[in-house]
Amino acid sequence: MDNREAKFILSAYRPGGQDASDPRFADALEQSRRDPILERWFSESIAFDAAMTEKLRAAEVPPDLRKTILAGVKVSRPLRWSKPFIKRAIAAALISMAILGSLIWHETRPTHLAGWQNQALDVISSLVRNESSFDAQSHNVSELMAWLRANDAPAARTLPQNLDKLESIGCKTISWNGIPVSVICFMRRDGGLIHLVTMHASAASDRAIKRKANLVQRGHWSTATWREGNMIYMLALEGSPDQLWTYLL
Amino acid sequence: MSKIDFQELVDRYYVPLYRFALSLSKLEADAADLTQQTFFLWASKGNQLRDRSKAKSWLFTTLYREFLSRRRHEVRFPKLELDDVREEEMSISPTVNAFDSATVLQALREVEEPFRAPLTLFYLEQFSYQEIADVLRVPAGTVMSRLSRGKALLRQRLLSKEEVLGNKVAAFQSDKREESHG
Repeated sequence: MDNREAKFILSAYRPGGQDASDPRFADALEQSRRDPILERWFSESIAFDAAMTEKLRAAEVPPDLRKTILAGVKVSRPLRWSKPFIKRAIAAALISMAILGSLIWHETRPTHLAGWQNQALDVISSLVRNESSFDAQSHNVSELMAWLRANDAPAARTLPQNLDKLESIGCKTISWNGIPVSVICFMRRDGGLIHLVTMHASAASDRAIKRKANLVQRGHWSTATWREGNMIYMLALEGSPDQLWTYLL
Repeated sequence: MSKIDFQELVDRYYVPLYRFALSLSKLEADAADLTQQTFFLWASKGNQLRDRSKAKSWLFTTLYREFLSRRRHEVRFPKLELDDVREEEMSISPTVNAFDSATVLQALREVEEPFRAPLTLFYLEQFSYQEIADVLRVPAGTVMSRLSRGKALLRQRLLSKEEVLGNKVAAFQSDKREESHG
């Protein structure tokens, strides 16, 4: 083995020394011990690799990435399968959505609220301040959803997993440019409120809304918006994004 | 995999996966999306994986394949010769510590993709050549070749940045001298 071949092999030798017992490196390592020129090259190479590792590991990671990953996956709740045909249907839907996701890969995600979202937040604020009243009130969210359907208002087919455990307070329908939007308010266990806004996806002009929940803050409000099937949902509460994410996970 | 296990998986791998994606893609937003998509695919497909010890390899492989799949729509692969590496190319010269992390990352991004992916796995996660071969689905010998050639290319990129840096420093010092004499 000449030095050129030894360098070629030692280029794959990890600087942490994990490969010391790998027989593929044995001859090259032995040669580096015998040849001072090769030994110096190898020493410099290891130092170069260690410095590269240190520099690359210092690259910053977006602070919200973890939450976005968890929320984006769990909002869809893809893991509860009971019957084979349901399993196949959900799998097909997931694949379709993955393909769809790839097609719109480079679209940027909105960092501000759309018109219907701002109006919904304004209505919610007035409800919270008792400046307006609910259209229907019940502690049973199923009753509120039935009321919304009976009044041709958009109603969620399924609720985010941690939301359907909460006690509902009431619901209200609003009109945004003639498009119906519904709001259901829930009582959180910590005594605060959380609100689910629903509208038909076909009515939304914002194509950037995706299956992965997108977090946007407005003042002291935190909101998460996502698309599921033919519906668009926005979850909102007065508080930090951390409080909101717990209802999406 | 249970809900808790999924979170553990995310906690363990989202940072190295993001950094791997960041070395492959040009934009941070693309890197974040690639990372998200990888975990999304895990949630929809990864549960089929019977050997859970291979989850790490599955995630890195999936992210890389996603990257390649998306990039095929953007550019055609340049034809690259993975021939033998000349010994003079393996000389060590640039001082990595002279650069900040962003400059080093930029230098890595300028290395052609077939060499960049194994380099990133080697440096970031300290994958062995065999593990890199498993992730990239190429023979172990090819990995060694790409690592050797990739490091040579990386040194060239860093050297060119070192020259730019040196010129800037020289120009700055020259300006200062002129100011003090003028």
